[in-house]
This record gives sequence, structure tokens and C-alpha cells, in this order.
Amino acid sequence: MDLSHKRPNPDELLRKIKLTEKKQTGKLKIFLGYSAGVGKTYAMLDDAKEQLKSGVDVVVGYVEPHTRPETLRLLEGLPAIEPQLINYKNMHLKEFDLEAALIRKPQLILVDELAHTNAVGKRNKKRYQDVEELINAGIDVYTTVNVQHIESLNDIIEEITKIPIRETVPDYIFDHADKVTLVDVDPEELLKRFGEGKIYRPERAVTAMQNFFTLDNLRLLREIALRKTTDIISQENLSESNMADKKLNSRFLVCVGPSPSSAKCIRWTARTADAFHAPWTALYVETPSSVKLADSAKSNIRNNMELAARLGAQQMTLNGYDIASTVAEYAKMLAITNIVVGKSRNKKTIYNLIKGNFEDKLIGLLPNTEIHIISDNDASKQQKKVDLNDIKQHLTFSWNDTLKMFSVWVAATLLSLGLRAMGVGDQNVIMVYILSVLVISRFTSGYIFGVTASIVSVLTFNFLFVEPYFTFSAIQPGYPITFLIMLLVALIVSAMMIRIKTQAGFAVAKERKTEILYEINKKLLVTRGLSNIIELTNQYFMKICERSVIFYSEDPINGQAGVFAQYATEENASFMQNPDEQAVAHWVFVNMKRAGYGTDTLMGAGAFYMPILSQYNVLGVIGISCQNQVSINHELRSFLRMVTSLVAMALERQILSDEQRKIMVESEKESMRSNLLRAISHDLRTPLTAILGASSAILENKKTMDESTHDKLVNGVKDNAQWLIRMVENLLFVTRINESSMKVVKVPEAVEEVIAEAVSRVRSQFNSANIHVKVPSELLMVPMDATLIEQVVINLLENAIKHSISDSPIELTVSTNENEAVFEVLDHGEGIREEELDRLFEGYTFQKEKSPDSSRGMGIGLSICRSIILAHNGKITAANQPNGGALFRFSLPLNGGINNEE
Amino acid sequence: MKNKATILIVEDEAAISNFITAVLNSNDYAVVRSNSGKEALSSTAGFSPDLILLDLGLPDIDGLEVLKQIRQWSDVPIIVVSARTNEKEKVEALDLGADDYITKPFGTSELLARVRTAIRHKMTANHQLIAESKVTIEEFQIDFSKRYVSVNQKEVHLTPIEYKIVQLLAKNQGKVLTLDYLSKEIWGPYTTENNALRVNMANIRRKIEKNPAEPHYILTEVGVGYRMKEE
Repeated sequence: MDLSHKRPNPDELLRKIKLTEKKQTGKLKIFLGYSAGVGKTYAMLDDAKEQLKSGVDVVVGYVEPHTRPETLRLLEGLPAIEPQLINYKNMHLKEFDLEAALIRKPQLILVDELAHTNAVGKRNKKRYQDVEELINAGIDVYTTVNVQHIESLNDIIEEITKIPIRETVPDYIFDHADKVTLVDVDPEELLKRFGEGKIYRPERAVTAMQNFFTLDNLRLLREIALRKTTDIISQENLSESNMADKKLNSRFLVCVGPSPSSAKCIRWTARTADAFHAPWTALYVETPSSVKLADSAKSNIRNNMELAARLGAQQMTLNGYDIASTVAEYAKMLAITNIVVGKSRNKKTIYNLIKGNFEDKLIGLLPNTEIHIISDNDASKQQKKVDLNDIKQHLTFSWNDTLKMFSVWVAATLLSLGLRAMGVGDQNVIMVYILSVLVISRFTSGYIFGVTASIVSVLTFNFLFVEPYFTFSAIQPGYPITFLIMLLVALIVSAMMIRIKTQAGFAVAKERKTEILYEINKKLLVTRGLSNIIELTNQYFMKICERSVIFYSEDPINGQAGVFAQYATEENASFMQNPDEQAVAHWVFVNMKRAGYGTDTLMGAGAFYMPILSQYNVLGVIGISCQNQVSINHELRSFLRMVTSLVAMALERQILSDEQRKIMVESEKESMRSNLLRAISHDLRTPLTAILGASSAILENKKTMDESTHDKLVNGVKDNAQWLIRMVENLLFVTRINESSMKVVKVPEAVEEVIAEAVSRVRSQFNSANIHVKVPSELLMVPMDATLIEQVVINLLENAIKHSISDSPIELTVSTNENEAVFEVLDHGEGIREEELDRLFEGYTFQKEKSPDSSRGMGIGLSICRSIILAHNGKITAANQPNGGALFRFSLPLNGGINNEE
Repeated sequence: MKNKATILIVEDEAAISNFITAVLNSNDYAVVRSNSGKEALSSTAGFSPDLILLDLGLPDIDGLEVLKQIRQWSDVPIIVVSARTNEKEKVEALDLGADDYITKPFGTSELLARVRTAIRHKMTANHQLIAESKVTIEEFQIDFSKRYVSVNQKEVHLTPIEYKIVQLLAKNQGKVLTLDYLSKEIWGPYTTENNALRVNMANIRRKIEKNPAEPHYILTEVGVGYRMKEE
């Protein structure tokens, strides 16, 4: 049997492990119950006590104060965080103190009532957001929730209990929970507890019993809770075996509309898609009329789309004139197998008959797709209102358009009068009027002018051009038909015109967006360097939003300030650099979600912050000022999201290229180092061989050797050893130069002292050396690392001695010009070969080309000289003199090279 | 019979220790060897040597620490053996009470000169001899009683501070004096006048040396201090 396709890809697994390793997130355990009073809190506290006993650092974050006495007893002995007291409209509210919990950072924290809505003024709107933050901070969380608060089950339960439930928890919280424990109790037992007043105080119990706590209700709720738990468990099993086996062959699509009951369709789809383990998409089709929808309808759409996102849908917004055909096209493209639509009972009107209904059209267009229709009774009223609104939008009146209509009509009439004077037939007059209606429909907005123009044209034609003239009665029997056709032509043309115009409008708006995206992309592609990318991003965000922006490329908690850009026409928005605002940006960095003004988190901030995400990494956070109290609308947000994905790509590219450069520098260093080592080991071998040979010759031939040979050999050993020591010292000096900055510690030193010591050292080794030294008569102090410069002088002198003919003099001169001290070493030897001149200071590189046993040159010595001088911001050069001999010259800046350093 | 001076060699490298022992033995010194810091401390107490040659890189205790401990109870002359690249270490050793230092690699003649100087200085201090009233090095002469300095029998006019510097160096002839020590001796304990010292030194050199870049009498130890040549 071939199991290969079932085996998880090792890379994939590794990536998953890395992801989990990368961020230590806490674990979430949810105690799920089907009603109040089943003992969720009790179970949670009981479990926590066990954990405490086994040495876990447990803290009670928040437990509802109305809890039963048995439960309260369990609370004793558990450390707790004091709840925060919040004053809201003269009420004292106790709230979970998230900040304190994050500072305390226990291993495990208990937070009751997951579905709770926080008081105004708290960082997050909902408690589940608090819990998410705790988990992100690496704290394990125990929490409780009732089944009716689960988002996707919300509507079913509302139907059963007839009690609307406002506080909901999105389903993904359950999906992300590590454990869901069902706390179950028999409904009759629960009712008994209830009757004993263990759950609510007796006076409240009566009303509650009548409304909610009926046996039927409880049984149903219990069933739902059990089923949900089973679902979660079976899903766990599935995901553990292999998630890739998700049934990709079915795909759901739900059509979202402005009606609030669309939510019902969305929830239904969520549940069904979940049951089939199928992906699903929430689609909203924007039509010309929807642009003019009332604000409430627009916010309904937004809410519905957000609900869909919370329930795990992919969101999609399309533009189109005809909803059915747009949906059908999209469904074909994505190979959607099931489409969910809401439907209200249509009144049987002629309009509806002509229009044909949406579902029929859809079925006609997509014969192979299953269409699910969810009844949607509340919608009709709302829908009608929207329709009225729609019509009203088309009946707007404008003086400008009236003037246009009037002038075209006058022109048409004059032309017709002219035509008649020329004796051209009536049919041409009709044509002229139809043309005028076309022109009017084209240049005015809405139906009203086209229709009015067609009616007026018919009347004018009747009045002026049909016998009897100057009356509205027509004699010839065919004329009423002519009038009717004219009217219809005018209506159809203006309808078409409107459609074309709105579509053109959409196209233009879309084009503009695409253009901006393209432009940003193009510019980002050619932009190099983090600061340039940030600047460009800020510019475009400012242009798009017409507000001030701030860009954080690093978490501001470490003290990095964001790059702030003030929008010219906006009032000073520098408040965005406050620590308070930075804290919001920090939150976004940590939680990878948008926050600030107009969101659910940290709504008190003065700006809206969104993360720039790339594969589980926050590359940056961008803040947009909302100081005029206008939030960023949904449309703009989604556009900005597109822009940030481009920016994320650019940032990622930048990071990659930075890394690459670092690697390149590293490898270059590495190759330099290995070159050096190769050269050294070669250079070391020669004298060591000589020493070894000489010493063993002495030892083995003690008796036969005459004294002069003996002395010669010993001298050879000494010379070679001296050379080795010089070599090693040279190398040691290199370690004094700071490897990363290539800089040295400089203090002012007297040049003559350094020269003096160098010369005396050289003299002690080369007794016959004939060195002439000249220094300025004034004391010259130069900032340097004296030992290093001494080494340079020694190396140059040794080099000169080596290449000099016997005792020809070597001149060492120090002079100053405006801002540097110039050191010159001049010999009268053979000079430097032309081909070596260029690469003299590269030392060991050119030696490779020579035979390996050539004289052990000063290659390394000279290259070390260069490194030392460069580290001093100086210059070193070599040249041949016209009258023979080489001239080495190096200079050191008198000011320590301050001007040269940045 | 003349008592041989005893020298304690503290050095963990046998090869170097061997060669120093050979040189010292053939120059009529008695040698005690120890190859660790602890051994050095006990040998110092046990043999009471006339001089210690202390290598700073020891396997057990830091050489500077050994120096510090010995100096707590003994003023035996100590010559520190150190690598050339490490001026800070040298200065620190001198400040901790080392009498002199010698840089690796060194030749025999250099070693013997340092040893002789250190032992002679100790004798002078021990026998409370009145310091010689005159110091003569080749053509250079300084007469402390007359405050008179001459080169080639020609008087050299020094400012009071210059004279003070030359006098200090001459009295410690052959011994290196750190920049810090000199500054403090001349300008008092709170000075930070290293530059003034250099300027004065440059002037002195121009007065007594033929070529200030090839000094003959006052030698520079770059990064450490100055030393007056011995006869």
C-alpha cells in the first residue's frame, strides 16, 4: 500500500516545530458548559488547585463575583490579581487587570467568562482579546464559557431560547484552544440545583426559570454543547492525522448583503463548511446602487464581512452590475461547489416578475452548482427601504443637468424646424429627437433627465410637427405608436448610459488603485536601503490617506523611534511620537494585529496602527493619524493592506540582501584569513627548516666540525630565529587593530621618540646598518598607536636594509605639511620591479606567483604596514627614485583623521 | 671569598629557563628556578634571592599578582619579563613596584645589563651610600651638588624643570621611569601633564643629544617611559 502521500512532509513538520519554538505561546484550556450553573468555574478552580499542588505558578486573574459558596471556598489559597476598579457612568465595575497579569507573568492564569465585554476604557473591547494577549505572552490560560456564546452557534441558540445573546466569542478561539473540557450535568439535576437557589437568588430564579431554564431548552443546549465538543475532538483527530487531507473538493460560497440577517447565512455556511471540512468564501458584490447605500447598510455589510472573517471565511469583494452573473463567474473561477444565498419572500409584483429572481438566474448560470437558500424573513422590510433609497438616488435633481437638457432640447427643436423648412420628412425629425435624448442621457446623471427629455420630445414633436399643429392631439393613427417607441428608446438608452457610466466609474476607481499599487511596486523595486523604503512608504501612505504617518521598523520598546512624516495640510501630528502611542505600536509588534483608533484594541490611541506582516514576522508597524476623530474606513483599510504587502515584500528583500552582504563580507574575510595563513605557513617553514638543519648538523657532527663552520651554523640559527620573531610580532600587531571597525586607539605621541626607538631596535639587529634620521626641529605630536607605527617604521627600515647594496645609506625623514606628518624611508638599492609596484602592499598575494622558495620577502610586513596606516586614516605609497633606490612614504593626519571619519 | 648573588627565575617555559640559567651561571650568579607562581612565592621566602626574574605569564597565578604579594613583605629587586606588544602590562608592573622590565625576545647582553643594574641599585639603597655627587656617561656629565650639566665639557643650560627631569633619570641611571612616575615627581600627585613632560623631554634632547631622533643618553621606551643610559 502506498502511504507516501499520507506521510507528512518533513520540511513542513520542521517548519511547524520551528514556528512553535520561535514564539513561546501559552496554552489555552476552555471549560465549556451549556448553561450557567453547570459548574464550569468550579471545575476550573479544582483543576487549578491540582496544578498549584504540583508546583505550577497559578494565579487567579478574574473570577465572577456572583459565584456560589462552594466555588468561593475553592478560591481560598489561590493567589489572585486584584481586579481593576473602573468608574463608568457612576457604576463601579470590576475588571480583569490585564497589565498587572502581564507584569506578574505567572505560568498559569485563570480568567472566568471568556465572552465578557470589557468596560469602556480598557485596552481591549473583549475579554477573549485579553486572553489572546496572555497566550501570546507565553502564559497558560484557563477560562470558562457557555455554549451560547460561540459565534457560529449564536443564532441557533437564539432561536431556541428566544433570548438574543450579544456577547460572542469567535470560533477560532476554540480552534486554537489546546483543550476544551465539557462540564456536563444532567438538566434535571441542574434544574434541581436551580430550584434550591444555588445558581441565582430565589427572587430572580422565578423569572429565569420561566424564560430560560426550561427542561426543553436545557436539553437542547446540552445537545449542542455535546455536539460542539465532539466536533472539536474529531477535528483534533483529523488535524493530528493530516490536515492536508482536508476535503478540498467541496468549497462553499456565501453571498453577503447589507441585510443584518445575512449573518444567519454566514453562520449557517460556517457550520456547514466546518462539518464538511471545506474552505469557504464570503462574497460581497458591489453594484452601482450599493455605492449610494445608506451608511447603516454599509456598516451592516462591514459587520457581516467581519463576522465571516471571524468565523474563518476568506473575504472577497467584487464589483459588478449584475449580482447573479458576477457571483456565477467568480464561482466558476474558484470551482465553488455550494453557494449559499439568503432569500426573503418576494411580494408578487410586476416589477419582480420582469426582473426575474436572483436564485433563478444563478441556477440558470450555474447548473452544476448546489444552491442553498436560507430563509430570510426580516430582510424584506430592510430590503425595500434600500430599494426606495436606490430609486431616490436616481432621481436627484441638478440645475446644471436641467440646463444641459434644456439647451439640447432647444437645439433639437431648432434643427427640426430647419429640417421641416427644407421639407425633409417627419421621420428625420423623430431621429433628431431620439438623438437629443441620447445626448441628454449621456451628459446628465440619473434616469430623470433622460426620461423627462423623452417625454418632452414626444410632446414637442406632437405639438410642433404633427398635424394639427400646436395641439397635443394626433390625427394619424400611427403616431401613438411612434410616441411609445420614442419613449421606450429614451428609457432604454438612459438606463444603458447609466450602467456604462457607473461601470466606467468603477473601472476608473479600480484603475487608480491598480495604478497606485503598480507605481508603489515599481518604486519599491528600485529602492535600496531601509531608510529609503521607509521614506517611500511614508510618502505613499500620506498621499493615500491624506494624513500624517509614522513608520516603526523596530519595536519601539527598545527605544527606537519611528520615522514620522507630517502631512502638509494637517495640523501638527507629532503626538504620534509620544510614549503612549509608541506603546500601541509595541502592542501591534507583539500581537501582529492592527490596533489603535477605530479598532477593538487600545481604541483610545490617537492613531490607527497596522502591522507589516510577512509569514509570521512583523517587519514593521505603520501608524496613521486619526486626530480629527475620523477612523480609517473598511475600504481604505483593505487597500492599505494591499500596499503593506508590497512594502513587506520590499522589506523582506532588503533584509535578505543585507544578510547576503554580511555573508559575502564574512566569506571575504575568511578567504583573506586563509590566504594569510597559507602565506605565513609558507614563510615560517623556510627559516624553521634552516634552524632544524643547522642545529641537527651541529649536534650530529660535533667532533668533525671545525670552529668556523660551527659558528656559521649557529649564526644562521640566530638570524633565522630573529626573523621568525619579527614575523610573529608583526602578526601579533594585526590583532591590535579592531577587526570590525578597522580602527585603533590613538593618543598623541612624540614622533621623534617613536622613530628613535624604531631605529635603535633596527640597529641592535643590523649592526652594520647605515641609517640617517632627520626629524623636524620642533617637537611633533601625532595621534597614533605608537607601537604600531614603530612597527611600520621598523618594517620599512628592514625592507630598505634588505634591498640595499651593503652599507649604502638609508634615509629616514619626517616632515609636516598642513595637516599631516609625512614619513619617508629612502634607500639606494635595486628599487622595486615595475610589475610588483602595484601590488606591493597586497603582500602575500603576489608571492604566490613567484617560485615558492624565492627570498622570504617582506610581503607580509608591507601588507601589515598598509593595514596599520589605513587604520590610522593615513596613506602609504611606494615608488622608485629616478637615480635608483626605492622610496616608501606614509602620512598620518595630524588631527587624528577626524575629518575623514564620519 | 665573594658571595655569589642568588637569582630566582620564575618561568614556566623550560627552554627559556634553561637558557637564562646557562647565561647567569656562566656569569657567576647562583640560580634558583621555579615554574609556577606558588612555587615562586615560597622560594622567595625560602632562598631570599638577591633578584627575581619574573615572567608575567604563569600557569597558576597571574604574574602581576605574584609581584603584588612579594612586594607586601619584601623589597627584593624584581625584573619583569614581558612581551613587547603589551605596554600597559609593563606600566602596571612598574607601578606595582617592579624595578625594571625586559622585553621578550631579549639577548644575553641585555639581560646581564639589566641584572647588574638592578643589583647595584639594591646595594646603593641597602648600604645607604650617599649618592654619588656626579654621574658621567661618555660625554655627558651631571654634577648634582653644583646643579651643573655639560656635554663635551660645554655647559648645557636647562630650565629648572628640565634639570629636575634629568636629575631624576640620572639618579636612577639604567632604570626605566614611567611617564606617570616622572610627572608626579615633578608636578605633584594630581597632575595629568603627560604632554608637558614630553615637551620638556623634547627640549632636553635638543640640548644634550646630537640628533633628537637618535638619542644617545636618554632613551625612550615607547608607551612606558624613559631610561638614562648606563656607562
